[in-house]
Amino acid sequence: MSKDYQMKAAINQKLIEMGERERLKELLRAKLVESGWKDQLKAHCKDVIREKGLEHVTVEDLVTEVTPKGRGTARRQQVVGTGQKSSCPCSKTEKINLVVQ
Amino acid sequence: MKMEDMPLSGPDNTKLEALVNDIYSELVEDACLGLCFEVHRAVKQGYFFLDETDQESMKEFEIVDQPGVDIFGQVYNQWKNKECECPNCKRLIAASRFAPHLEKCLGMGRNSSRIANRRLASNNNMSKSESDQEDNDDLNDNDWSYGAEKRAKKRKSDKSQTSPRRSKTLKHKNGELGSGISADPYKYNYNAGINYEMLGPDEVQSFLTTQCGVISEHTKKMCTRSQRCPQHTDEQRMAVRVFLLGPSAPVLPEADSVAVPESFDIPDGQALMSRLQWEDSPEISPSDSASSKASTNHSDSRRPKKKKPRPSLGLNSGGGIGSLSGGGGGGSSQISERPLPPPPPQRLCIPNIRKLKNTVTPTREMVAGAVKNCL
Repeated sequence: MSKDYQMKAAINQKLIEMGERERLKELLRAKLVESGWKDQLKAHCKDVIREKGLEHVTVEDLVTEVTPKGRGTARRQQVVGTGQKSSCPCSKTEKINLVVQ
Repeated sequence: MKMEDMPLSGPDNTKLEALVNDIYSELVEDACLGLCFEVHRAVKQGYFFLDETDQESMKEFEIVDQPGVDIFGQVYNQWKNKECECPNCKRLIAASRFAPHLEKCLGMGRNSSRIANRRLASNNNMSKSESDQEDNDDLNDNDWSYGAEKRAKKRKSDKSQTSPRRSKTLKHKNGELGSGISADPYKYNYNAGINYEMLGPDEVQSFLTTQCGVISEHTKKMCTRSQRCPQHTDEQRMAVRVFLLGPSAPVLPEADSVAVPESFDIPDGQALMSRLQWEDSPEISPSDSASSKASTNHSDSRRPKKKKPRPSLGLNSGGGIGSLSGGGGGGSSQISERPLPPPPPQRLCIPNIRKLKNTVTPTREMVAGAVKNCL
């Protein structure tokens, strides 16, 4: 629905303006590295490269192969990593609440 | 504001959750993309697989765990038993001794020049000395004068530190060295004991103009230190010069400076005794006046320091008086316990001491004794 879409856009914009998005991004990256997600994904990349051949790998190949897996495992990571009420591994929702309020 | 504090309504909650999830997945996608770019760049630049090694190299560099061998598979002391041929002297030297041998053989390096100089010096001395002395490594220290044996022992220990293989010990043979002055009197070697009997008068004079020359009681040798050596006083030096060169001995350059000897530490009580001897004898022949008056000048200042031996000295000098033996029983007992006058420096002052013995300085005790006797 467009309303949701608008809301999403507004939230995004607000996040960017506040600089929160960057902060969240860095936070997420740190968490993923810590949990080993990054190394897992890198190993997967290696397999893909060996499969495709070292010389002919393109970014698109990697992205299409790697992203869904990454997304899926990240979701699994977040379930494992929390102890909080929200399903998010970090306190993103509170930030978003802040924004919304 | 925390989420826990803000309860949300049902539909909004789910919507919010959905939104949050969307934002979150966007962030995750960004992270994935970042990783992909990184990997792709690494692949294209060629450093992606650098941290991996293939199986063959892995086997080659595996950790070795055998006895007698380190983890790289190398034997520890395989070079110990090997011998190397010295390019200089063509001898076969053990590997662990090769470097020091080269140092000495080629004449380079710190120790070798020192040892060579020592050898030269001792060879010069040996050629002139009567006794057969071993090489001594004593030139390490700058101690010129002779010494007490403790100094010789200290030199022994110093020496053993510098050269590990040194098994010969230095023997300080007191009195056995009868060497004259070496060709270069300024070359220092503590064994070059200068015995004044061996020198001619000219040599003595030239020696005494530059060096201390005080004759040591132990070894009868002259001190080879400088004119200002702290172990001997100017009085001693002058006495030596008088003794060796006759009464017309030239006055020492420092005879004028009275203040100088004051600062010297006098370890030898006998030196003080000799000074007191000078001071106790006012009647000295005019020929000695030059030397003795100079000495009494600065020995006067020392008078208050030592009063104790004074009476005994005075009594000693007045041996001729019969009343002394009777009176002053305590004093005379002191005399009997000291058969000799204070020994060594006095040997230098021999001509003067004879005169001293003949003079009598009436001291208080002597007078008291004489009076008692009369009564």
